[in-house]
Amino acid sequence: MKISYKWLAEFVDVDIDPRSLAEQLTMVGLAVDGIEEIGGDHIIEIDLTSNRPDCLSHLGVAREAGVIMGKPLREAVPAQIDVKGESVSPAAVDVLDPDLCPRYTARVIRGVKVGPSPDWMVRRLEALGQRSINNVADVTNYVLHELGQPLHAFDFNCLAGRRIIVRRAVAGETLITLDGIERVLNDTMLVIADADRAVALAGIMGGADTEITDATVDVLLESAYFNPASVRRTARILGMNTEASYRFERGIDYDIAARASDRAAALIVETAGGEIVGELLDARAQIEARPPITLRLDRFHHLTGLNVGMARAKEIFNALGMEILPLKDDGAVSVKSPSWRIDLAIEEDLIEEIARLEGYDRLVPTLPGGAGAGSYQDDEAARKTLRRTLIATGFHEAISFSFVNGETDAMLSGNHESGLVLTNPVDETQSQMRTTLLGGLLSAVELNINHGTRNIRLFEIGKCFLDDGARPVEIERLALVMTGARNELGWQGAGERLDFYDLKGTIESVGENLGKNSLEFSPTSDIGYLHPGRAAVISLAGNKIGFAGQLHPRIAAHFKFKQPVFAAELDFGAILQVPGLEPRYRPLPKFPTVVRDLSVLVSDAVSWAEIERSILGLNIGELVGVRLFDVYTGSELPAGKRALALSLRYRAEERTLTEQEIGDCHGRVVSMLAREFAAELR
Amino acid sequence: MEAERLEQLRAQFSAEAAGIDSESAASALRDRWTGRKSGLLTAEMKTLGKLSPDVRREFGLQLNALKDEVDGRIAELLSGFGARREAEQLVRERIDVTLPGRRQSSGRLHPITLMRERIEEIFVSMGYTIEDGPEIETDFYNFDALNIPPSHPARSSQDTLYLENGLALRSQTSTVQIHAMQRRRPPLRVIAPGRVYRRDTPDATHNPMFFQVEGLLVDRRVTLGDLKGTLGEFVRRMFGPGTRTRFRPSYFPFTEPSAEVDYSCFKCGGAGCRICKGSGWIELGGSGLVHPNVLRAVAIDPEEFSGFAFGLGIDRMCGLMYDLDDIRLLYENDARFLEQFR
Repeated sequence: MKISYKWLAEFVDVDIDPRSLAEQLTMVGLAVDGIEEIGGDHIIEIDLTSNRPDCLSHLGVAREAGVIMGKPLREAVPAQIDVKGESVSPAAVDVLDPDLCPRYTARVIRGVKVGPSPDWMVRRLEALGQRSINNVADVTNYVLHELGQPLHAFDFNCLAGRRIIVRRAVAGETLITLDGIERVLNDTMLVIADADRAVALAGIMGGADTEITDATVDVLLESAYFNPASVRRTARILGMNTEASYRFERGIDYDIAARASDRAAALIVETAGGEIVGELLDARAQIEARPPITLRLDRFHHLTGLNVGMARAKEIFNALGMEILPLKDDGAVSVKSPSWRIDLAIEEDLIEEIARLEGYDRLVPTLPGGAGAGSYQDDEAARKTLRRTLIATGFHEAISFSFVNGETDAMLSGNHESGLVLTNPVDETQSQMRTTLLGGLLSAVELNINHGTRNIRLFEIGKCFLDDGARPVEIERLALVMTGARNELGWQGAGERLDFYDLKGTIESVGENLGKNSLEFSPTSDIGYLHPGRAAVISLAGNKIGFAGQLHPRIAAHFKFKQPVFAAELDFGAILQVPGLEPRYRPLPKFPTVVRDLSVLVSDAVSWAEIERSILGLNIGELVGVRLFDVYTGSELPAGKRALALSLRYRAEERTLTEQEIGDCHGRVVSMLAREFAAELR
Repeated sequence: MEAERLEQLRAQFSAEAAGIDSESAASALRDRWTGRKSGLLTAEMKTLGKLSPDVRREFGLQLNALKDEVDGRIAELLSGFGARREAEQLVRERIDVTLPGRRQSSGRLHPITLMRERIEEIFVSMGYTIEDGPEIETDFYNFDALNIPPSHPARSSQDTLYLENGLALRSQTSTVQIHAMQRRRPPLRVIAPGRVYRRDTPDATHNPMFFQVEGLLVDRRVTLGDLKGTLGEFVRRMFGPGTRTRFRPSYFPFTEPSAEVDYSCFKCGGAGCRICKGSGWIELGGSGLVHPNVLRAVAIDPEEFSGFAFGLGIDRMCGLMYDLDDIRLLYENDARFLEQFR
């Protein structure tokens, strides 16, 4: 909101320069955003919090300035209301819905000459960014900026029946507002009507039919108080936001309507001629009296740490226009807050008033005592380990929006989970809460490839949201995607392409670093978004915790990937639930380990996992390690066969093994492989 | 006669030694003259026993002198060639140490995570517990319990994202205040970092999703001074020991009194620069004493307990710290962006 420094000076003796004033206003809670010099005046831009509608005018800001500077508010010169002719108003006002319009005043001014406003008024309005329209309309805007009361001027002779009826609209009723737009109304909206039709949207905008024009001779001036929630609701539904609605929504001073009407009527007569006819019509409903508020000085001290005496507290309350009620006890003061301070209701509000006017800079910084030990969330250590493991293996951490494209999400949802849909998304194409993290990550891969980054590894830890009927389920997941070369192309040669085993190795590293040594990968062809021959279900301690594999060519084509992309998604919570193994020392071997290699030809239908399990299943105590060091599938091998090269390590804890013993052990392995898998020794 | 022979041997050795041009020739020379089995001088040594004692003594001394000379000369030759061989090898093995190093390609943590971890670390060391809450919330947690009136604009579908089932994406981490106070009774100190959502169209300074950190402390006799001291301590640890704070009165439905907190610009120290838009101050976030209605909503007696709460925007802090010109980059996951942080 914009405030003119010179205009302020009409209400209070400003004895500090604009910059100091701005600084001090900021420090009492009227945050000044900037100061602009316009035509010898300074325009101060204030970013007002929504609880202070009383400061949406020069009068309001002058009150604050007066309190800051210890200067009394200059009593406004009472507007000279010179009523001509009959004392009865030629108009009539009926408020049919006083709940939405607790106060409505109307006054008639006859014989005006509509034309341009005087220069001084045009300059003032324009400095505040308000375009000049004509002398009558300008007066209403001028008084709005001066006193904070939005006003509306009707062409009195255009009002059917010369009456004002304040009522709810009839559903489907229409009104062309001043901006030329036809508004279709519903029965929650309050309108100002004449005998025949709606002529204004209460508190928001006037109607085109009754607008002040060059032909206007008689004016009906409205100064009213409308229910804030009602104005807000109507303005929202219609997508309107005006200077008037902005103020009514926040709550104006109920008591200022007549004063503003007087001021505006006098200004109209001054700038457009004419004469005020009849009394001010003032339809007021009983509004609920606001109860007094009591402040206990010791509570003030308890909550702020500041010490303020009773005299100072009262001085501040007086300056703020509060009425101090007879004392109940020495340590407390009871006040009635002024009509414009609708934000003050409880003791804490008064505490803030004293604290802010004493100055927050007087608050003494202290540290609360008696802290126990702080703590991270239980799984924070595991999270840190996981993040660090992944970045060490070349993965960047990604964070994606939680709302995604519903179709893409469905395509990538391995669990066929149903998603939650936003009713008012920012982007209609991204309106579903994600059920998988892969949508975001694959879109990121797409973006990176489009930007020329073809070697990319990303992971994300975040929540997925599942519709579970009642309360949505939020599941934390971990997802990884990787594509491109294993290493960046450098002078040491081109990097080999990543494959499934890079992804698997990463997940195994993560498992190992978290102390979960029992991760198992078993083949699956059931995951729609993964290549049926290159996908695995990942299990931990017997529970399925996720999937890993190469993206299905169909999905890859959807994203226009021309290079294989590998993806995995795991249930992060389930991983963390399985207790990790704590390291336990084993004595170092005292006797030598003997290594025997073995190369066998087996059917490629036999998985490595089966072979390894069978070897370990022999329970040979001396066999301390099995390592696969080559898998060969050359064309010179018989069709459907592959050669596996294994390295077996033998050792005894208490002695050196003899050749005979080693031979026996190794022989058992070889004959088992021949028996179980028809393996031929090469 | 013996003396004459020695002179001959000496002359002969000198001549042979002079012609040595390689390390292997030097080794051969050593074998020929001082080899254990057939060295020329070794053979002479063996003749000593046959000589008369007088002659033996004299000849022995001279022969030993000659042997010392020969040994010395051979050692000199060998070490000369050895040094040359080593020098040649070292030259041969020279590499270009300016070629790029072989690196394990390494990833980076997201700047939001980096910032969040720093913030958490500071508050954990000050006795706070990190907590979390749901991202999809009921009106009770998102608004009602936070003293946000039914007509408040924040509740509108212009500002808050709603699901078809009527629930909302939380619009502030303040929701965790309520969960925390329901879970545990005071005294409590809670820090809750997390995602929040607002219906903002993305632009250089807005995203519909961002990260906040909520802080809450409830105990007996908690004051505004405690809030000021706590946030002052935080900014000093976060931005440097010389950082100052400024408290300005403000308004939030869930705190009263409320304060906007600024800290002196980490870039210019308060003199005014581009980062702080010339003011010398940067907004940290909103704060205040927990509104008595909020305490009542979780059945805590505001006469017995008081507390403070604050909310900090992590994205904003990232934006300022890393000098981002477009905050949308935070959630695009462009590797060229992500790899810049550590």
